Amino acid sequence: MSESGAVKPNAEISPEPALARVRIPSRLFSTLEGVFNEEVFFLILSIFIGIFSGLAVVCFRLAIDWTHLALLGPLPQTHNWRLFAVPSLAGLAVAILVLHIFPNIRGSGVNQTKAALYIFNGYIPFRTAVGKFICSALAIGSGQSLGPEDPSLQIGASIASALGRQLEISREKLRLMAPVGAAAGLAAAFNAPISAVLFVIEEVIGRWSAGILGSVVLSAVSSVVIVRWFLGSEPLFRIPLTTFKRPTELLAYVVLGIVGGLASVVFAKSIGYLRPRLRSLPRWTQYFQPAFAGLLIGLIAFLGAPQIMGAGYDSMDQAMHGQYAWKMLAILAVLKMVATTVSFVSGTPGGMFAPTLFVGAMLGGAVGDLERHFFPHLTASTGTYVLVGMGVLFAGFLRVPMTSVFMVLEVSGNYEIVVPVIVANTCSYLVSRGLQAVPIFDLLTRQDGLILPSLEEDREEAILRVEDAMLPVPTTILSAEEYIDANFHRIQDSTDSTFLVRLHPSGWNIITRDQLQRFFQEGKGDHRLASVLPAQSVPSLYPDLPLDSALRYVNTYPLVPIVNRANSLKLEGVVSQHSVFQKYGTRSPHN
Amino acid sequence: MKWRFSKLALAKLSLPKLVPRSAPIILLILTLAAVTGFAAVSHLVVRYNANQQARGRKLYAHGRAAADLGHYDEAIAAFRAALTCDRSNSQYQLSLARALRDSNNPDRLDEAESYLIALWQRAPQDAAINLALARVAAHRGSIEDATRYYHNAMYGVWASEADANRNKARVELIQFLLKKAAVANAESELMALAATSPNDPAAHFQAAELFVQAQDYDGALREYQDVLHSDPANAAALAGAGEAAYHAGNYAAAQNYLQQALNSNPPDPNLRPLLLTTELVLRSNPFRSHISDAERNRRIGDAFTQAGRRLAECAQQKGVDLDAPGAAPASPLVDLQSRWMAAKPTLAHLRSPAETALPDEIMDVVFQIEQQTAIFCGQPQGLDLALLLSSQKREAAMQ
Repeated sequence: MSESGAVKPNAEISPEPALARVRIPSRLFSTLEGVFNEEVFFLILSIFIGIFSGLAVVCFRLAIDWTHLALLGPLPQTHNWRLFAVPSLAGLAVAILVLHIFPNIRGSGVNQTKAALYIFNGYIPFRTAVGKFICSALAIGSGQSLGPEDPSLQIGASIASALGRQLEISREKLRLMAPVGAAAGLAAAFNAPISAVLFVIEEVIGRWSAGILGSVVLSAVSSVVIVRWFLGSEPLFRIPLTTFKRPTELLAYVVLGIVGGLASVVFAKSIGYLRPRLRSLPRWTQYFQPAFAGLLIGLIAFLGAPQIMGAGYDSMDQAMHGQYAWKMLAILAVLKMVATTVSFVSGTPGGMFAPTLFVGAMLGGAVGDLERHFFPHLTASTGTYVLVGMGVLFAGFLRVPMTSVFMVLEVSGNYEIVVPVIVANTCSYLVSRGLQAVPIFDLLTRQDGLILPSLEEDREEAILRVEDAMLPVPTTILSAEEYIDANFHRIQDSTDSTFLVRLHPSGWNIITRDQLQRFFQEGKGDHRLASVLPAQSVPSLYPDLPLDSALRYVNTYPLVPIVNRANSLKLEGVVSQHSVFQKYGTRSPHN
Repeated sequence: MKWRFSKLALAKLSLPKLVPRSAPIILLILTLAAVTGFAAVSHLVVRYNANQQARGRKLYAHGRAAADLGHYDEAIAAFRAALTCDRSNSQYQLSLARALRDSNNPDRLDEAESYLIALWQRAPQDAAINLALARVAAHRGSIEDATRYYHNAMYGVWASEADANRNKARVELIQFLLKKAAVANAESELMALAATSPNDPAAHFQAAELFVQAQDYDGALREYQDVLHSDPANAAALAGAGEAAYHAGNYAAAQNYLQQALNSNPPDPNLRPLLLTTELVLRSNPFRSHISDAERNRRIGDAFTQAGRRLAECAQQKGVDLDAPGAAPASPLVDLQSRWMAAKPTLAHLRSPAETALPDEIMDVVFQIEQQTAIFCGQPQGLDLALLLSSQKREAAMQ
């Protein structure tokens, strides 16, 4: 049984079953009668994934609400014994379920989905969906300071993976099922399809891929339609009137961004520090870690801050409408950070999205109120700062800058605050990145012994392009329309062994000195060069393409022409195997 | 052993194999599965919603009871809990917004407004929502917003008793405008109220009271007269009409109504001084029509003498020596004394038919003295008050 929250190649979730299945030749697409090709079928399948994920998320949300009502009542009041008892007892039950029945459902689920994509060929056991559903609903419903979004993401991914395996689709497509399902689950949980798509691209897939974008969008949209059908299209919050009047007020948002960035670092470092230490404690303590977290949360709630329990959307809503003074907002931000840290590091299954939004909202409101206290001319309402603050912590803590901006815009439906949101989120992101090199999700995967690609790392990495390995235009370029003897005489002054041949009306080919000489000696001097060249021309590249794209050709062709994008007849230079390998710092295998 | 069993059971937890290998059939099966799932979740959601709604109704009823007793904190908690059961329930949202607004906590107005704005966006024509928004704006003291929402409420859709509710909304707006001293706005609303209010003594009486608050005594008198038209013995309306006529300078009507009010049951003793002053005004005014020249001259003479007396008393009260020889006219009272002394010999020429402007000139001096002494020495009593009121009426008539 895995001690880790992330998926590990152990007996429980070994990639072997998936590999075994995908090894079977795909029989499905051989019988499609020419109506559906694999791409079309995958797109249609994405819609079904969205529908099934949406239905599952609706049930998940009902389960959380029902658990909350049954265990804590509709509106928990302070100094109620249930606040104290319920989270800790539920924590104990969750620990038993996690340790004995659902061992791979600890944590948020984002990393597990990413691991499924990159390590396990898209394999996520269906049991994960069942376990995540039951345990997260119990944990969140009983007041653990976690959110339903990341579990929804994993439930969606798990459903998609199970469906893909049942249909025995190709390994390549099966890998992509997990992010498609993840987008559907997240979109349904957040009721925000754009943010879900962006998050999956930024965090789960980790790169921009046009091939999967259509499927991700389709699944996200269809799941949102399902959720809105059943649960209505009411937004998560009642959005207050937000204003942005004077550009000078951006300074206030810069301050909010910096504070949010610092808070993100503290939050991430706390989790990063405590999680491995708690995991290293004796196994029997793991039965009591979620219970202890529940006890602490219950104590905080009992003593006067029940707002920190669960996802906390109602409290965020009230903060947006000025229900708390700045001191209370600051206290709630700190307490929620503490509660979420202990809930998460204890291994309780549940998400980080909602707590991140909560902390950001409270922090935003506190900073905004304080700024307005000292600078009364600031016109933005507390609700505006709360809304911007939500995105600030999202950008700084989860390190998904684009998702954070779109999430706030999508949730608020207000584009008037787009500039403050971008400014504050950028500041928070930069501060967080400056003080903590590894984003939280990457940190968690590394703690679990997995190394997964990340978009942030890709951004940092300098990309080698074709122009970096480009050699100057050769002095001798032959023409396919000229006779062989004329071309042969032209190469006499050259020391090169291979020559580019310009084809008519466009295109390129290659001929070696020896080949040309042989044709000349065979008496073909009065033939046009075009008549003896191989039918297949040499592909040309553009200078801005990644150097990787040249690797496909330099092994086959000794010279690959590089042409101008605006004028394909204009030769910019050439690349050879040697020049490409030299740029990568390795020796050519032929040298 | 028990756990091991559970593990084994769950290890088998996987979706059944789909047998067909044709894409259209697979899509058909997926569609059937989706429809089945949809139906199952629908059933679940309907049952869950029914439970939640029942719970919400209980909490809502509790909140209403608390709000009716003025226990707004308890009502707010109950309405919030009701909303967790049925988030989109407009009635719960409206009640919560009203409780937040009425809880006398300015910090809660934002939240109340946001609920109401959300409701308004869904039903901008709903008069009850507009009225609630108008009251929030009134709590904030925003004349512009309150007027807009009150107007929306007046012209909006009411579930029942539309005319009465519209009238109430306008009355509320007028009261708010008067409270904010926006008299011009209030007067225009009063005009509309007078035109649209039902032909009902209570409505006319309410309108009359509002006219009085707006100091539009002519309008008030008209409304009181409308009340008296339907209910001639209405003591309150008689008293109101008397006071309105008095303030409007219509002393003949004032005397009539005040007299009737004092004769009615129960009489209002506070009206007696008003009636006495009214009678004095009527008896002392030399410009009243249908009086003889002799009577007019007598009244002018009496007024002139009274003005001289009032001037002397006021000067004494203020320590001004009016008789000091060669005293510089540092005080307006000294100037008035000079004018009074200069006019005194002309009294003898009042009977002369050639001196047609003389009564006006003498009364100008009298009125000047009464107005200036009122400024320097306070509101006069008795005949001086009557002369002052006559002067004000004359000034108003000339303007």
